[in-house]
Amino acid sequence: MHSDSIAANASNIPAASSNAKDFVKKKRVNRSAKLKQCKLDARREQWLSQVKNKSGKEESNGGTIGQPMATAGNRMGRAIEKLEIRPRVEEENDGGSVHHYSDSESPSNSPMSHTGSVLGGNDSGTNSSSSSSSSSGGCCSGSMSEEDEGGEGGCLDDWEAVADALAATDEKQQLHIGSAPVDKNIAHFDSQSDVDILKEKPENGVSVQRAPVNCRAWRPDDAFRPQSLPNLSKQYSFPMNSDRHYGCGGSVWGCKNAASIPKSCPICYEDLDFTDSSFLPCSCGFRLCLFCHKRILEEDGRCPGCRKQYNYDPVEGEATLDGGSLTYRLGRSCSMITRS
Amino acid sequence: MQASRARLFKEYKEVQREKSADPDIQLVCDDSNIFKWNALIKGPSETPFEGGVFQLAFSVPEQYPLQPPQVRFLTKIFHPNVHFKTGEICLDILKNAWSPAWTLQSVCRAIIALMAHPEPDSPLNCDSGNLLRSGDIRGYQSMARMYTRLAAMPKKG
Repeated sequence: MHSDSIAANASNIPAASSNAKDFVKKKRVNRSAKLKQCKLDARREQWLSQVKNKSGKEESNGGTIGQPMATAGNRMGRAIEKLEIRPRVEEENDGGSVHHYSDSESPSNSPMSHTGSVLGGNDSGTNSSSSSSSSSGGCCSGSMSEEDEGGEGGCLDDWEAVADALAATDEKQQLHIGSAPVDKNIAHFDSQSDVDILKEKPENGVSVQRAPVNCRAWRPDDAFRPQSLPNLSKQYSFPMNSDRHYGCGGSVWGCKNAASIPKSCPICYEDLDFTDSSFLPCSCGFRLCLFCHKRILEEDGRCPGCRKQYNYDPVEGEATLDGGSLTYRLGRSCSMITRS
Repeated sequence: MQASRARLFKEYKEVQREKSADPDIQLVCDDSNIFKWNALIKGPSETPFEGGVFQLAFSVPEQYPLQPPQVRFLTKIFHPNVHFKTGEICLDILKNAWSPAWTLQSVCRAIIALMAHPEPDSPLNCDSGNLLRSGDIRGYQSMARMYTRLAAMPKKG
């Protein structure tokens, strides 16, 4: 009788302990969820207090018009600064995000209204990229377009016909790109008397152009960065992509610069191989890897870029598309590929 | 299934790296489940939601880049396209106009844009939609501002 009860007790004990374990486990899960919510709440409070401070500050500032501009300028400067600093920071703490966290605090403190900051952010993004391509690209774009002109010398007339067909703004851009570097070239040739002007072969031009540029590396977001250059690191491909997505206002995906073949598939973010990057499934110019294309065809079959139905025979490079701009762009991008 | 996980992981890394890119959005992934995300977004300025911080809950399907994530407001909000009780959001890009090229970050951005530009003709919150449709902008704004104060701002002592 007595021993029986002991046995019963003994058999009860493990069950009880397992129950207790379960209970503890559940409690722990609850606690982590609660902790997470706490963190979110704390973050929210922080923001809210910032907002409060900000509104106070704005009121005291009154209607100074120059101020937001100045901050936007600062932001831009900071953005550029960050661009340059980033690689080091990235390398220092690849895994840990502690530093990043503190880093992220500062811009959100900037005293600007919300849309202002959003716009400023976007603007600074595009500005910085454009300025980078125009400042560092002064010579770079020179070498690029020079190369193009030299390489496609035979079909220059075609080029101009296509350019005529472009919209007025595009035309302006093209002319800008086309003409400015040429001027620069002449200046270079004038100054460097040892270069034979008759020997104005594209390769020669490029080498002359590149020599003075050597002090400056290609920026990862530089539109004219040759595709043949190896990736500095995979990390760069991503921000570059995102810049492109949001910087262009999301209107056209393959927009403006011809060199904008993404390095990674925008759907799965895997790197595009050679086949993928010469694959153009839709006339809107949106590129993706063959794998994702197949998966999309199996589902709703609409292009992620323009949301139109894919027609099942993918567009080849030479196919006639609507508008001359596209064929022109194709031609350029194809030449990019063959060159690299 | 594996693809969605890989893609979400890349997005997670991107969010970690670009934390300062958009100060109005903070995306946080659930520690144990990469298909569950939370986001805090700031109410856009010059709207009745200015000054509020709203929490969103993302539930990402396994076919994710091809299927849109499910998003709802956890913070109460008075907006014609947000269900007042459930927080469900009526937004075309979360339904038929979804594109796999969108990311969770861009969805947040779209929701901020929706907050600034309500669509009263497809309302989930009829009261709010009716106020806007009848042209009572002031009524809509004061209601929305009140709920922003009540639900999305710190309690004042």
